[in-house]
Amino acid sequence: MDAIRTEQLTKKYDLGWRKGRLLALDKLNLRVHEGEVYGLLGPNGSGKSTTLKLILDLIAPTEGQAWVFDVPCRKVTSRLHVGFLPENPYFYRYLTGVETLEFYGKLCGMGGAPLRRRIEELLELVGLVKARDRRLSGYSKGMLQRIGLAQALIHDPKLLLLDEPTAGVDPIGSKDIRDLILRLKGMGKTVLLSSHLLAQVQNVCDRIGVLNLGQLILEGDVRTLISDQRRLSITVQDLPEAARTRVEEAVRAAGATVVGVENPQTTLESLFLDALNKDQRGTGHHD
Amino acid sequence: MGMKLLVVILLFGTGLGLLPMENSVRNERLRLKYGGARVTFELREAIGQNLAIALLAGLRGVVADFLWIQSHGFWEKKEWLRQYRDMEVVVTLQPQSILFWDLGSWHMAWNIGYAALTDPQNRTRAEGIKREREWHEKARDFLARGIQNVPNHYDLYFYMGWLYYEKLNNDCDEPPCRDALCRAAEYFRKAASFPDAPQYVARMYPRALEKCGDLVAAYAEWKRLWFQDHTKVEQLWSVIEREIKQLENRLNIPNDQRVFPRGTS
Amino acid sequence: MTEIAVGAAPLSRERVGFSLNRVGVIAANTLTEAVRQKVFNFFLIIGLVFIGSASFFAQFTFGEQMKFIKDTCLGVISVISTLIAIVGTAQLLPNEVENRTIYTILAKPVRRFEFLLGKFLGSLFLLGVSILAMSLLFGAVLFIKEQGMIRELHEQYGQNLPAAEVADMNQQIQEVTRSAFDVDLVKALLAETAKATLVAAITLLISTFSTSLVFNVIVPFMIFVAGMLRGAAAEVWGGHKLLMALLAVVPDFGLFSIADEINLGNPVPWGHIGEVIAYGLVRTLIIVIAAHLIFSRREI
Repeated sequence: MDAIRTEQLTKKYDLGWRKGRLLALDKLNLRVHEGEVYGLLGPNGSGKSTTLKLILDLIAPTEGQAWVFDVPCRKVTSRLHVGFLPENPYFYRYLTGVETLEFYGKLCGMGGAPLRRRIEELLELVGLVKARDRRLSGYSKGMLQRIGLAQALIHDPKLLLLDEPTAGVDPIGSKDIRDLILRLKGMGKTVLLSSHLLAQVQNVCDRIGVLNLGQLILEGDVRTLISDQRRLSITVQDLPEAARTRVEEAVRAAGATVVGVENPQTTLESLFLDALNKDQRGTGHHD
Repeated sequence: MGMKLLVVILLFGTGLGLLPMENSVRNERLRLKYGGARVTFELREAIGQNLAIALLAGLRGVVADFLWIQSHGFWEKKEWLRQYRDMEVVVTLQPQSILFWDLGSWHMAWNIGYAALTDPQNRTRAEGIKREREWHEKARDFLARGIQNVPNHYDLYFYMGWLYYEKLNNDCDEPPCRDALCRAAEYFRKAASFPDAPQYVARMYPRALEKCGDLVAAYAEWKRLWFQDHTKVEQLWSVIEREIKQLENRLNIPNDQRVFPRGTS
Repeated sequence: MTEIAVGAAPLSRERVGFSLNRVGVIAANTLTEAVRQKVFNFFLIIGLVFIGSASFFAQFTFGEQMKFIKDTCLGVISVISTLIAIVGTAQLLPNEVENRTIYTILAKPVRRFEFLLGKFLGSLFLLGVSILAMSLLFGAVLFIKEQGMIRELHEQYGQNLPAAEVADMNQQIQEVTRSAFDVDLVKALLAETAKATLVAAITLLISTFSTSLVFNVIVPFMIFVAGMLRGAAAEVWGGHKLLMALLAVVPDFGLFSIADEINLGNPVPWGHIGEVIAYGLVRTLIIVIAAHLIFSRREI
């Protein structure tokens, strides 16, 4: 069963009298397999948010249909298995962390001891135990993102829709969210992730789809898409300079071309995280 | 657009459908004599724009109270005509108010009338008396309108009786004065006929009959009051006893026919 | 971080029916928002007005003072409840959309009607609590004034009175008590509540298709004013059937004006009050249905 399936899903927005309509999504045929992490990419205005809204029945399609676990998205039951984290989540600032999760849990039909247990688990998971009784008006952006994740998970959904989950979050927080997504995948959950931050998507997603002007222009397995089959990279360590020359000659003798010889680079994110880890004083991360 | 059109049709359709219910409530309000004068241009001129707006917002009582307090201020400044004008507007706004009719007539007869009598600008005493009399009659006419608007309470009948008893009788024995006292008696009788009228109202009827000159009727009324159930009615029995005894003497009622025969305590 | 517990959510997977529980959760949250945002601070101002109105009129007769207090207090309740109904309801939906909190709610298995009804009931709870609090303050002021007047009467008449004067004093005390506490005042408060509920429903309807807070406040206010003028319009233009038919879409708010009649001591039969409240409730129901029809198709 596909977690998400769309057929000819189309959305046109009315621009007003005599101004015509804006084609936001053009006959999208999308399948997100159960248990995978799917990255939905695209520039601003490409139709990513429109796709998510159509799946959540926040807007109605002009043409076509969408299903979540074979339940039409226009039915309320389709959202039984969906957790949603919107972009720049904004919750009721006058509620505390616990009250926020209670509110969403009750909306999902939960209550009593099972809800209380679930709240404790999620607060522990997202690292907000110390801030549980603080009002959300006192939360940082990263904390709001984490409470947002917790509310999306409150009813243990099979499918998670995450819209820019790491936007505005510091590298530590981003890594935590990425690790969480991978953990959720390990538990068999399906994640549809929409993001601009391509480097982060690359490390997390199984498959990606690229939208542009409402159309899916590229889709496939991440590793396959980004690897250059024609080139091979062999990393060596402690190679003497003299031996390097012989290696290059051997490559040329085999009929291949030495495209470049340089020291491999780590990522700036890894450098940053390593530096913080080594700093004995800790990160001062707000909790 | 289709749904919005449907909603518009729904709202208009149900609005029309509810007209009978609205008319029923409206008619009941008319039957119960709710409200007062509608807001006309003349009324708006009389009360000013702000109060007219408050009136249209349903704050009729507040507007009437405001004008009443304003009229009280004119009374303190001795601006009688302004006070009179405001009182007229107030009873137009709330014609069901016993309090405004009562106090309005009181101001006219007792306060404004006295001020007219003692006005230093009067050239003669006779002029003062004439002006005072005019205000007594204004009060009477004012209260008469009040009774037309509130016919089902004892209060205004009693106050009209009191007006005749105290002010319209001129303290004399001549027929016009006696006529006034007899009219007072009539109003006291009417007031006392209401079941919620206080007992002092009942006592004013025979008192006025006496002053009117009809001692026999006065005696009969005092006896009727006396023979009410003393355990159920709160009355000044000592006062009634005294009045009966006085009348029995004045009318020379035979001892065996008296309520209080001579020689008894 | 710990592992997430498996199978924590006890949801039925067969169907999601209409749930009063969910409505209640949303309503309670709406009320919590109003309370925690200190909406009730203005009650202090109301209290001052009420108490002030008891002190200003000492130079008037007891009857006049009681009338002023009752007219002022009921007038304040009428105005404030209408303002709460409009302002409290106008921001409900626009705030949810602007703050995007509506996304996380409607992303859950929550029907749009449950959401709309929950927000509306939350607003009504706020209204009910406000009117109740003002009514209790009103009652307290009447009680304080009544006791003060009775004390004054005792001081006026003094001690060791003859029977005639005792009866007179008791008579006046009875009149003070009767003018202070009239059970019919409850009818006035019920009528005001029905009126405010209807105003809130109209505001809800406007907010289902308008995103501007200013528009959502001004338009219901104008409809309220038009409704207050319907009675006068009927008197002047009653013969114009088409105009009267068009005006029928606006509720006749003048029908809820009961307070003045009660303060004048006019009879207000329970049957009449019942009809007025029923009228308000029927209008409210129709308007909420209309709001649902629009909101159910609104693109968020």
